[in-house]
Amino acid sequence: MAFCDLKSVCAADDEKGISYILGNVFAVYEIGTDAPLVYGWDMIKGVEVSSKDIVIETFGKKYTISNKIFSDEEDLLRAIAIIECHQKDYHFGYAHQRRLFPLKSSYVEMSPGKETYIGEDILDEGDTAAAFIMLLNFKLVKILWLIGVAVALVTFLVLHLTIGVTRTNVLYFLPISAAAGAIMALVVYLITHAVARGRFKRIADADCAARKFITFVVSRQGFAACESCVYESRDLVPWTEMEYFIESDKMFILYKNNMPAAYIPKRAFDKKHVGAIADIIALSLEQR
Amino acid sequence: MKLLAAEKKVDVRTETVDFDGQSALLVSVKDGSGIMGTCLAGYLGTSGSTNSRTRLFYIGNDPVISMVCPNRGNRQSDKLVSFSPGFQGYDQKINGALTNSFNRLNEGESLASGLRDIFNLLSDGVYVVYYSDYYPTDGAGIFFWGGYNISHEVRGTAEYNRAIGDRTFKPCFLLPTQPMDYYAARTKMGTDDLVKKRSVQGIAYHVTGLFSALLKGHHGAVSCVDNNLPFRCAVIEKITEPFTDKAYTVPMAVEPPEPSEPDNTSEEIDPEAPDAAARIEVSAPESEPMTEPVIAPPLNGISGFRSPSVKIPLRAFPKDMLRQIIEGRAEYKPKHFNVIAAKLQTIRRKSVNNNVLPYSVLERVERMPDCEMIESAYAIDSLTDEQLNCLLAGDVECNGNVIVSPNFYSSIVTACSFLQFKDIKRFVDFSIAILENPELSAAHEYVARRVAGQSENKKVFNFFESVVESADPKYEKFLATAQTFVKRWKNK
Repeated sequence: MAFCDLKSVCAADDEKGISYILGNVFAVYEIGTDAPLVYGWDMIKGVEVSSKDIVIETFGKKYTISNKIFSDEEDLLRAIAIIECHQKDYHFGYAHQRRLFPLKSSYVEMSPGKETYIGEDILDEGDTAAAFIMLLNFKLVKILWLIGVAVALVTFLVLHLTIGVTRTNVLYFLPISAAAGAIMALVVYLITHAVARGRFKRIADADCAARKFITFVVSRQGFAACESCVYESRDLVPWTEMEYFIESDKMFILYKNNMPAAYIPKRAFDKKHVGAIADIIALSLEQR
Repeated sequence: MKLLAAEKKVDVRTETVDFDGQSALLVSVKDGSGIMGTCLAGYLGTSGSTNSRTRLFYIGNDPVISMVCPNRGNRQSDKLVSFSPGFQGYDQKINGALTNSFNRLNEGESLASGLRDIFNLLSDGVYVVYYSDYYPTDGAGIFFWGGYNISHEVRGTAEYNRAIGDRTFKPCFLLPTQPMDYYAARTKMGTDDLVKKRSVQGIAYHVTGLFSALLKGHHGAVSCVDNNLPFRCAVIEKITEPFTDKAYTVPMAVEPPEPSEPDNTSEEIDPEAPDAAARIEVSAPESEPMTEPVIAPPLNGISGFRSPSVKIPLRAFPKDMLRQIIEGRAEYKPKHFNVIAAKLQTIRRKSVNNNVLPYSVLERVERMPDCEMIESAYAIDSLTDEQLNCLLAGDVECNGNVIVSPNFYSSIVTACSFLQFKDIKRFVDFSIAILENPELSAAHEYVARRVAGQSENKKVFNFFESVVESADPKYEKFLATAQTFVKRWKNK
């Protein structure tokens, strides 16, 4: 199991008088009881992680652990990592919001090998939003052309029906139509940019890893993009877990199930190593 | 790296707990130095693919036992075990701590005080310690010391043994913590006398399944086998695994299903209790072979924590020890893990096998109970003569009940193992009866090999001699085994 050395997390809910411990087992200490209620992870039916709380459902009870009762964000991240690792082994239901980095259940513990590049950085909001937009542009570019041409034709048709095209005014109507198409395409482009940025912000706000230092590792065996406070030096996501990657000027975006699964910023690594890292990724995944 | 030089105060507490008429000596280690223990090493280059994860038993800076756990570390899969080629010999101070503990135990000190130097070497956690007799073999009739030079699948190394199920068991086979080239005939001559005076012959640390690593007493093990003495060890086991009392029902039964009491079958853990083998007989299961357990949904959490040999309910734990188990992880990588991992890639140049040991020792360990026999003692409660006659007639059922298993060959194998473990005389009679029956020729080769292990049994010799002399074609499947047996007998 990856992340097997992670320290257990203890969170005390003073209002309810309950302490929770997440580690090898899930334990609930209630005030006034002699022995804690301890669940093995095989007794867990499902876990739901949201930006507000973690809900752990056993076969008889449901425990809602507010994110506020964790002493700090590092404890919360560690608790989520422990849950995800056990989810891999015990296959209980797991619901979570969209994440910027791979789930801990994707990691396996392995020796990274000699050719390993390690970097650390906080994910830059501007860079990542730009990457989001770039990815959006890949999909939008044809649609924008289509919108531009369609609006231009419609404008020309409207002008023809209302004013009527003559040899004298056609030279005015053509640029007017083209301009209308271009303006509409630009408006759509700006709206989608705003939507993309908003979408990234929503994901970033929900995923507290976006505000944390991230350890990035690239090796022949696999890669890691994991909160530094949680990361153990031998846990990697094998390349076989990913499908393809896209390289922008600022980062590598790795895809799984046609969705971005990891953002690896180039600036996290020493500049002289970026070429070698690109080679490793290109040898391991298809580039699109 | 001087591991013991940078000593910090290790908080070791011992407490005897009583529960359900049993008792266990618990030891909690806080701020442990982690100089000795087991840890996961992930998917190493040596393990081949990412389907097999590696686990290590290490002492100091040295990997000692390497276990490749197939099927992504499936708990029901036996491991590929080898003595790690990266072993270079651990620190003299560690050796000193082991020797001191061993001497103190033999001077009559209790387990709690005698083993204190070793407790300081462990990683954080709660441990149970007790005495138990071990068979110094690899669980397949080979002397343990030189039995792991090459990585191979070792039966009985799975954490969860299907034959034993959820019951408690005492590990009874050994893994070495020294390479075979440490064996010296001169040292053995010394231990030959010493073992007769010792009350404790070794110190073992449980590693996996039925196997423990022998920390101290390798030469003593040779001497004990040579002198026909039981090999009594002080055993240290880590308590990590949660357990749940499950309600079992018999789905096919006409009567309403009644929950059994699985804990009643568990062994009593008296820290000073002797003899694992004898206790297996006591704790033989009472379940029907055909009974299929139906597991009730565990609504109220686990019942307690266990090690292989003991199941301790939550209420029986001292509060701080319980909290320590809950807050701890099963295994920790030591701080110097990278040093250990680097040594794993080493290739051993020198490898000495068991042939340096006296022949009498090698011959005796062949006759010791093996893993199949231990498992069979859990798989079946008893075998009556009527049931054996049914098996000899080629039936797997007796009076409408399955005797061992619906599979005939599996039934024969288990019955032989069971009888060999419990009653050698009946085993020999049953084996000869199988070998005499040409209709059971599918089992001949296995049974002949098994009974040939009784190298000092006159009845076996007489039978094999008659086989060799008769040259009857019905014996052709085990003629070679018979010839070897007779030849060895005559050369004695």
